Amino acid sequence: MIAATTSRPAVIDLSEIRISNRRRFWRAFRRNRVALLGLILVILICLSAIFADVLAPYDPIEPHYTARLQAPSAEFPLGSDELGRDLLSRLLYGARISLVIGFVAQSVAITTGIIIGMISGWYGGLIDDLLMRIADVFFAIPGLMFLIVWVTIFDPNPVSIFLALGLISWPSNARMMRSQVLHLKELDYVLAARSLGASTPRILIQHILPNAIAPMIVLASLGVAGVILSESILSFLGLGIQIPTPSWGTMVNSSRGYITTAWWYGVFPGLIIMLTVLGFNFLGDGLRDALQPNQYNK
Amino acid sequence: MTTYILRRLIQVVPTMLGIFTVLFILAYLMPSDPLRAVLGEQYRRLPPEVVEGIREELGLNDSFGERYVTFLGQMARGDLGRSYILEQDVADIIAYRFPRTLQLMAGGLFVALIIGIPAGIIAAEKQYTWIDHALMVLSLLGVSIPIFWLALLAQLTLTQSRYGIALFPVAGYEDGNLSHLILPALVLGTNLSATLARVTRSAMLEVRGQDFIVTAHAKGLARRVVLLRHQLRNALIPIITIVGLDIGYLLGGSVVTETIFNWPGLGRAVVPAIERRDTPVIIGILVFGAFLFVIINLITDLVYALVNPRIRYQ
Repeated sequence: MIAATTSRPAVIDLSEIRISNRRRFWRAFRRNRVALLGLILVILICLSAIFADVLAPYDPIEPHYTARLQAPSAEFPLGSDELGRDLLSRLLYGARISLVIGFVAQSVAITTGIIIGMISGWYGGLIDDLLMRIADVFFAIPGLMFLIVWVTIFDPNPVSIFLALGLISWPSNARMMRSQVLHLKELDYVLAARSLGASTPRILIQHILPNAIAPMIVLASLGVAGVILSESILSFLGLGIQIPTPSWGTMVNSSRGYITTAWWYGVFPGLIIMLTVLGFNFLGDGLRDALQPNQYNK
Repeated sequence: MTTYILRRLIQVVPTMLGIFTVLFILAYLMPSDPLRAVLGEQYRRLPPEVVEGIREELGLNDSFGERYVTFLGQMARGDLGRSYILEQDVADIIAYRFPRTLQLMAGGLFVALIIGIPAGIIAAEKQYTWIDHALMVLSLLGVSIPIFWLALLAQLTLTQSRYGIALFPVAGYEDGNLSHLILPALVLGTNLSATLARVTRSAMLEVRGQDFIVTAHAKGLARRVVLLRHQLRNALIPIITIVGLDIGYLLGGSVVTETIFNWPGLGRAVVPAIERRDTPVIIGILVFGAFLFVIINLITDLVYALVNPRIRYQ
């Protein structure tokens, strides 16, 4: 390693710097036990979503009227619901809905936020004013109520829920991106790129975006947590996606009638929602520490 | 100062206009036929001319533009319209229900402040010790708990004796009876208290590095005095900002909390109104909520300007 670097002292190998940056990030991230725990939680939930049909001991939809509201036992590890369906199996399948909604809706929100924040910060002036006022509008409207009205209009199908969740969570992403761009566009290397005649899209994508991406990754991870939580609330209110496949929030909702007779029915789905959301929050928090140590803990 | 106030007041106008526009589009798109909603089965037996007449009277046959202008005019006059079903003005429904939601929001905020701020101060003081780490992990736990589940757990363990102790009423509302408020307020305040703990911690740390804190310590002031008089007071601005921004969260959270605890506030009115497609009620509550958010954040900004002259001259 030392020999390799000394043999060509004048040339700086850029790929090596990049690797060492990545290594530095990894080292910081690994030291953070909470972040690692988050990563493990997220991976576990993803795996159980992917392999739900292999892992689930029972069919999640078909009722078994002879085994209604069974307490947790060897036969039903987490108990069964009012139609005799195995809770564990239903929870495993439920992970699919929550994760897909979390990832897709958050991708919509983060992409919209990055694009609008970039335009707003780069061009400034009237465009900036206009876009930020629009962001203010979506900030002011109570998100959950907006969501409820939205699904009444467009039906609670996956696409409309992605859009609605994206629509209510882009403003904070856009604001963060905008403030990054405002800071970066004053820096010398951007000025240099401009004086070399680089086009605006090229500057934005090649020079600004890579340097502004770290806080956006953090926001995206925390955002997935937020979106999963919002979807579960919607399902809990009985307004979520209407498909036979169980959604975690829906399960908590239908458990309400059995709260005094079958504690497991409501407790386990809620616990899984919490663990999933916690995983993404731990992960996002650890990413923040590892990616921008000086911006946090000042 | 007057210029600042004026400028800030003028900013409210385009924001409110934007809010009205978005909410009008939602109202316009609502799949709501008020006649069907009110009449139910009788609807089909009515002669088409009568149906058409009522639609005309309610302005449902007007064009998008006409209805938009009418809507803006109503909003400008503060007229939120009339419920299709309850035979009540939306403004009256809000006037009756909002004080109850406000009690709940105040209770939630109280819980959040009383847990969040001390936790944040302690974490900042014990930075990088196990106490700090434990508090921050706890606060992440606090933001990750789905509030409907927390409410269910609270009902499971604290309101009945099958799986817990019957300390509080399961649900409901009684004028002036605080025991009904405790659980809903705890549930509503938990998420916010966790957020506040984090904000307080980082604000306290930020202030701690500044010269005047060092000076205060060098003067020989007691640690507690520096902590509360100098540090906390200066850390309050970001804390108050977060509280202002979380008004929307408290209002949204009240939908869930009020539904579970059967609390007769605004949030409790939202879900039934949605089920009955009672557009004026839904849109009225949304307009009111957004307006509340804008006004509270306006007040916060003005208070800052009053307290901190630097903001005025930006």
